[in-house]
Amino acid sequence: MQPVSEACEIISNTETSTDTWEMTVETKKIASECKPGQFVHVRTGSGFNPFLRRPLSIGPCNGNRLRLIFIVRGEGTRLLAEMQAGEFVDLVGPLGNPYQLPDNDEVAILVGGGIGVVPLLILSDYLSQEKENHFLLGVRSHDLLPVLPDEIELRGIEVASDDGSIGFKGLVTNLLESKLNDLRDRSVRIYGCGPEPMTRAIKEICMKRKVPAQVSLEVPMGCGVGACQSCAVLREDGVGYLLVCKDGPVFDINDVDLTPGGSS
Amino acid sequence: MNMSITMAEMSFRTPLLTGSGTFGYGDEFKSLVDYNTLGGIVTKSVSLEPRAGNKPPRICETSGGIINSIGLANPGVDSFIANKVSLLPIDETRVFLSVVGNSVEDFLAVVDKFETIADISGYELNVSCPNVKRGGLEIGGDQDAVAAIVKAVRAITKRFISVKLTPNQTSIAPMAQAAVDAGADALTLVNTLIGMAIDTEKQRPLLGNVTGGFSGPPLKPVALAKVWQAAQVVDVPIWASGGMVNGIDCIEFLLAGASGLQLGSVLFTDPFSPQRVLNEMEEYCSHHGVAEISELVGALKV
Ligand SMILES: Cc1cc2nc3c(=O)[nH]c(=O)nc-3n(C[C@H](O)[C@H](O)[C@H](O)COP(=O)(O)OP(=O)(O)OC[C@H]3O[C@@H](n4cnc5c(N)ncnc54)[C@H](O)[C@@H]3O)c2cc1C
Ligand SMILES: Cc1cc2nc3c(=O)[nH]c(=O)nc-3n(C[C@H](O)[C@H](O)[C@H](O)COP(=O)(O)O)c2cc1C
Ligand code: FES
Repeated sequence: MQPVSEACEIISNTETSTDTWEMTVETKKIASECKPGQFVHVRTGSGFNPFLRRPLSIGPCNGNRLRLIFIVRGEGTRLLAEMQAGEFVDLVGPLGNPYQLPDNDEVAILVGGGIGVVPLLILSDYLSQEKENHFLLGVRSHDLLPVLPDEIELRGIEVASDDGSIGFKGLVTNLLESKLNDLRDRSVRIYGCGPEPMTRAIKEICMKRKVPAQVSLEVPMGCGVGACQSCAVLREDGVGYLLVCKDGPVFDINDVDLTPGGSS
Repeated sequence: MNMSITMAEMSFRTPLLTGSGTFGYGDEFKSLVDYNTLGGIVTKSVSLEPRAGNKPPRICETSGGIINSIGLANPGVDSFIANKVSLLPIDETRVFLSVVGNSVEDFLAVVDKFETIADISGYELNVSCPNVKRGGLEIGGDQDAVAAIVKAVRAITKRFISVKLTPNQTSIAPMAQAAVDAGADALTLVNTLIGMAIDTEKQRPLLGNVTGGFSGPPLKPVALAKVWQAAQVVDVPIWASGGMVNGIDCIEFLLAGASGLQLGSVLFTDPFSPQRVLNEMEEYCSHHGVAEISELVGALKV
């Protein structure tokens, strides 16, 4: 679907854990036509300060309703957190390329780091009916869960935490390694989204084990539609750049150079 | 109310244009922007050779505006002609190709190839990009260099030429005069100001290129002054560029002497802005008994 600009009514906007907000909005077309991995470019109000829209992953959708989950980092997300049910928020979307669903015999392993879990939630909705999939999530501690504990349980998400306050004590990539060991005889495909160090670690694991992976990347954006060249990420082959908004945000992990300073 | 305007014997259905580099090659925003509201589009600048662009990050926000260090990333003229020309909305809207280069020869080579493309309304010569180390600024501040480029391009095309100048110079009038004397049909004022922002936590620049081009609403007063100053010394049409986000901003530029109005960064925030800005300008006109938008050009009372 070509992207559209929609003023969407906010159905609810609540803080689910410290500085993490869930906003459900009513869209006309975006929710029903988007695919897992795509994003929306969100206007933070009706004025021009802050100037730019904020890119946010499309979370789980239900009919015309779409869920955004975001962390308050700076001014733009602070303004989004202040918005109330009944107000309208302006979204441009759906933008970017979605995750490619696994082939018939493939097992999907979803690997989220913190707020990077968002596009994997909608992906797991697409997979859960018919495809074997395993959903792993890394967080710093139990009080910084990006989604409510009920949802973690409902979706059967296996959690790793830095401090061991929830789930496995360690990194989500440790969980991934043991999952890959368990599934040694199967063909698997990894779906990742999270902070850069996690994505880099996934890449190392994939290279070592020759496992395919698609990852979603985050970089600052201007237009969000491929017009301004702001969102460049270095190509793995060194021949120039790819655009996260148009060529991504989901990339084959072998196509992008993730060395620090490469993508951001 | 008549929103159409004539510049250099070309009629435009509205005074609105898109700023180079903010609207790609005209196809990216297709489902979001109503082309009927635009008098024309100006493409992303195209150079002779492909340019990969600068090291990321390439964009950051500052109070009320943005700084970009794209570095003129573009596929180069040959690839542009092979792959992008067919995407230009030529039937619907006037199209102006923005040309950038490091030398007179570069500009000539690109324009020469563009002459083969049908139905193009003209060129905008970008002698003012702050994001490339060679050319760009060095050219943009040098009257002789600018005049040489304009004169050379003038000699090989009958098409309309606007010359886009940098605000990073103390006095715009002599540069404006030099460009017009060399054969420019119009001037585009202004490109971005050089700017910079720092992440104090990391003690690093926010842009991979350290400095970049500053645009958005905070640029508007600077652009307005440059348009006004240039309008005092040249007779050619002026295309304003710099920080416009609403109809009243646009009216200010018309009063100061501009007849074309380029919407730039605002398209990122509000792709609906051409329609909205047009409505706001119409509203202004009806409140002020203005029947033709062209009546406002240079109508400032000083
Ligand atoms: C495709 C994509 C999907 C994303 N999905 C989510 C999501 O589902 N939930 C979520 O919480 N965050 C998500 N992010 C990150 C989110 O866009 C930033 O956290 C947000 O823009 C920060 O804005 P701010 O006003 O809080 O911060 P500020 O620091 O005030 O932002 C200043 C500028 O930097 C940009 N910026 C700052 N941090 C980032 C970042 N990490 N990535 C991209 N731009 C940034 C902002 O957009 C803005 O232009 C996503 C980013 C991308 C590119
Ligand atoms: C991301 C971005 C890319 C740009 N690229 C170009 C370019 O290739 N050529 C050019 O002449 N101007 C370029 N500009 C400058 C704009 O056309 C415009 O002159 C400037 O941004 C000021 O207008 P604004 O404040 O309305 O954006 C670019 C601006 C931005 C924000
Ligand atoms: S944000 Fe403009 S090209 Fe990606």
